[in-house]
Amino acid sequence: MKIENEEALDDFIICHKCQTLHHEIPLRDGAMAYCSACGTMMYRYDSHLIDRGLALSITALIFFFVANFFPIVKIEILGHAQFITIPKTFLSLFEHGFYIVGIFCSFLIFIFPLGVFLLYLWIFTLLKLQRGERLTRRLLVLLSRSIPWSMSDIFLLSILVSLVKLIGYAQIEIGTAFWALVLFVAVDLYITKMIRISEIWMLHKRLFFPQGRGC
Amino acid sequence: MLEVDPKQLIRCPICEAVNIDKGKSNCCRRCESAIYHHRRFKTERSWAFLITAIIAYIPANLYPMLITKQFGMVEGSTIVGGVILLWEHGSYPIAVVIFFASIVIPVMKFFILLYLLISVKYPLGKERKVDKHKLYYMTEVVGPWSMVDVFVVAILSALIHLSNIQIVAGTAATAFAISVFFTLLAAHAFDERLIQESPYRF
Ligand SMILES: [Zn+2]
Ligand SMILES: [Zn+2]
Repeated sequence: MKIENEEALDDFIICHKCQTLHHEIPLRDGAMAYCSACGTMMYRYDSHLIDRGLALSITALIFFFVANFFPIVKIEILGHAQFITIPKTFLSLFEHGFYIVGIFCSFLIFIFPLGVFLLYLWIFTLLKLQRGERLTRRLLVLLSRSIPWSMSDIFLLSILVSLVKLIGYAQIEIGTAFWALVLFVAVDLYITKMIRISEIWMLHKRLFFPQGRGC
Repeated sequence: MLEVDPKQLIRCPICEAVNIDKGKSNCCRRCESAIYHHRRFKTERSWAFLITAIIAYIPANLYPMLITKQFGMVEGSTIVGGVILLWEHGSYPIAVVIFFASIVIPVMKFFILLYLLISVKYPLGKERKVDKHKLYYMTEVVGPWSMVDVFVVAILSALIHLSNIQIVAGTAATAFAISVFFTLLAAHAFDERLIQESPYRF
């Protein structure tokens, strides 16, 4: 196989699921490319990627804010009303002396989910302004490293499991934050499934090096 | 012009760029991640994390995960005990979820990672490459779901702390969280490329 230089490797893509090498073909706007070996969606071309990314990250951050400041569930047990919020969940672990689990939980359900969307917002803002070429790179690397540690979706399932466990023992009332969390998780799943990091990298290249890097 | 062997092309796990495998000190041409710098002790790191995870999984099963204090009575339940209790109470879906999250997924992950780590050194199932990638991909996707029980304990203990009835996290919660954390680290430290790499390349 002969190529012009290392940069020409940008015309290739390796499927993230089955590691098959493919030649990247240009797509029309909105189309997606699937791996011929395993059928996974590999990349997409979206001419409005920046605006869509900005809109999604702002929406997610608003939902996240609501999800954290209002009660997720309220219960009444033996005449006593109790409620939880996301921060209360891990803060109570600290109160009970479970520092390790408390730190884990605070990172997995609060710091990483928030961080990921702040990074998306920051990256898309920089791309929109076409500024901070190096900074965008660093942020993109940080983003890839943070995504696997953001576990809001798993936390949402855990809430449902806990509620089912409580049925029969307590009166349960779903709070505003629960629905906000559902919407946040929906946006989170959409953005991580539909906007692949490599797509942002390609956009980064198109914006900052329209003539190629020339190395 | 540059002559490359397609077998030499590797995918950067951070930014997905296609790179030429240059041996010892690979540094991604796009994101400059020094991910391949550690390739020499790649498997060693992964082994260390995995062994720690397996060791932590033992106390996670022996000690209580959840402690219920009800009118002066203190009762602890382990992971397996909790699943059995839920099953007996008829909460089958929840019992299945917890069973999968806390027992099937972690144990399966241990075995898959053990298998992958061993097969790097010894040519086990060499001809079935794709299967191994699928296995690895599966552990990455399914792995985090084992945190469910820890979150449930956190939610219940935050929610139920009356003077008469209290739910507190048990020692197993810490051990289990540590175990999950190290399995995730072991999976991330494992270099996917090693699966397809021939032993003669070094
Ligand atoms: Zn594929
Ligand atoms: Zn890279």
